[in-house]
Amino acid sequence: MRVLEAMDVTKDYEEGHERVAVLHGVSLALERGEIVALEGPSGSGKTTLLSILGCILTASSGRVVVDGEPVDPANRSRLPEIRRRSIGFVFQQFNLFPSLTAVENVEYALNVKGAKGAAARSEAERVLDAVGLSDRRDFLPRDLSGGQKQRIAIARALAGRAPILLADEPTANLDSHIGAQILEMFRSLAKKENRALFIVTHDPKVRSISDRVLQIRDGRVAAGESETVGAALAAARGRGQAPPLPMTRSSAAL
Amino acid sequence: MVDLATKSLLHDRLRFLITVSGVAFAVTLVFVQVGLFLGLLDNASVTIEHISADLWVTSRNTPNVDFAHTFPETAVQRVRSVPGVAAADNLIVWFMTVNLPSGAQEGTLAYALSDFRRWNIPWNVESGDVDDLKRGQYLFLDGSAVKRYGPFAVGEYREILGQRMKIIGRTRDALSFTTTPISFLDFDRAQKLSPDLLKNRTTYVLVKLAPGADAAAVKAEIARRLPYNDVYTKKEWAARSRRYWVQSTGIGLNMYITVFLGCLVGIVVVAQTLYTSTMEHIKEFGTVKAIGGGNLDIYRILGKQATIAGVAGFVLGALMAFALRPAIAKIDLKLIITPVFAAIVFAGSVVMCLAAAMISFRKVASIDPALVFRA
Repeated sequence: MRVLEAMDVTKDYEEGHERVAVLHGVSLALERGEIVALEGPSGSGKTTLLSILGCILTASSGRVVVDGEPVDPANRSRLPEIRRRSIGFVFQQFNLFPSLTAVENVEYALNVKGAKGAAARSEAERVLDAVGLSDRRDFLPRDLSGGQKQRIAIARALAGRAPILLADEPTANLDSHIGAQILEMFRSLAKKENRALFIVTHDPKVRSISDRVLQIRDGRVAAGESETVGAALAAARGRGQAPPLPMTRSSAAL
Repeated sequence: MVDLATKSLLHDRLRFLITVSGVAFAVTLVFVQVGLFLGLLDNASVTIEHISADLWVTSRNTPNVDFAHTFPETAVQRVRSVPGVAAADNLIVWFMTVNLPSGAQEGTLAYALSDFRRWNIPWNVESGDVDDLKRGQYLFLDGSAVKRYGPFAVGEYREILGQRMKIIGRTRDALSFTTTPISFLDFDRAQKLSPDLLKNRTTYVLVKLAPGADAAAVKAEIARRLPYNDVYTKKEWAARSRRYWVQSTGIGLNMYITVFLGCLVGIVVVAQTLYTSTMEHIKEFGTVKAIGGGNLDIYRILGKQATIAGVAGFVLGALMAFALRPAIAKIDLKLIITPVFAAIVFAGSVVMCLAAAMISFRKVASIDPALVFRA
């Protein structure tokens, strides 16, 4: 079942008097339970694409569908709701709240998503247990190692059962041994809970856990994937089905 | 529900302390300034509040109780004949010179009545019997006079307007606005002390209403019968006496400016610390947005933090102000903090902190959640 689609997505920014194009007609799709890695050099547009897929930025043109809901760049107030419902993030810098304990970090994310009280606390404990940190539930982030912090970040992303997990360089701040452990744990949890996992990375180890690996160069995703989705879109048009959303939108940051 | 606002605020204890100190400073400043102001104004009307008169007849345009002008003492007869008046007596309030044993001269504000008990003054008698005042060249002197006259004891003599007077009693808390000590003496004695100015004259007529009498009607009738005098209710006269000092001296303006500056300093300190804190936690707020939170969630965090700072600052500031009270009392000043005044300061400190947080609100609204991807 397809949970994330990007079709012919472009993104450009105004820089001074010039418009700089970051993404050029990117198309890709993720199925539930699928793990996809996106590799590319710095400045190739990886993080911009991740931001668009995660409804943090909107595309300048093209179409993004998240968990069955087309993202309307003109309706920015809807984006937080899509993020709450469908997306879990894992960041390179962990981005934990330093004043909250491990379990509170996870529980707070659940509170933001609308879960409250005992239900939120038990879900937080469930995911902490899943990442093997039950015994560190009352530790503050400053008292945890980098690997433990990233496991809390993964638990936070898993909490609430969002169907899509987006990870930005999740192993960049970890040594290679811990990084490999984290990736393996992330893979098995995503598979077990049937979540789509999209990982932006420089780390070649990510390949080993991925079902597919996409390459991005100068804002263009490697030909195979783009063509596959592009062909599906063309087929839809050929069947006389108009695209649900216009292909061109003005860019807007959230 | 995880309380990110409180935990984040208390996580950085030093910053929290600075914020609370800023609020507490402003609160203490407001309490002390306004409390002293109220204390001084209380002096301006303290005798009016304690004298059990319902109406005061004054000479025309008397600005306050201390600055009395004379009028014929026979006016009291006309007042007594007004229906609804239960009792009326003459009262002289007059500034008199006191010669001290050292040869120096000081002033006293003399309150002279024929029957002190009827009008309930002096209200704090430490020693002596006011009924004895009419028996000779006697006076009661307030304890606050020690500061200006030096130590004195009951039984000693002081020379007032050139006449030897025996101190036969001592009172407490009878101070005029200008801190001139108040003395109490018999009405006839006061007239004899200054015959040129006070013979057959009085400065006020005190009026007690009969039970059930209509104060407004009695007041109007007295005013009709004494067209060259003014008539005030107790409340009006106290307000007029206080207003004189507020409007004709810089004390009111000084109080308003100090309160304004105190609040301004408080707002600046709180706004500055909250804004710095917001900037330091900007990535956390970006994370809140990235995981699905909106501006409203972050406004709630900042609003709660500002409220906590306001409440904690108020408590600390109020404690400091109350701690200063004994020291202020030692220099014969009063710090008046009424429950209503405290409630206003409490609300003001919370509003002040929320106003300060508004600056951070603007910053939060512009946070780009994409910053969570930046190293």
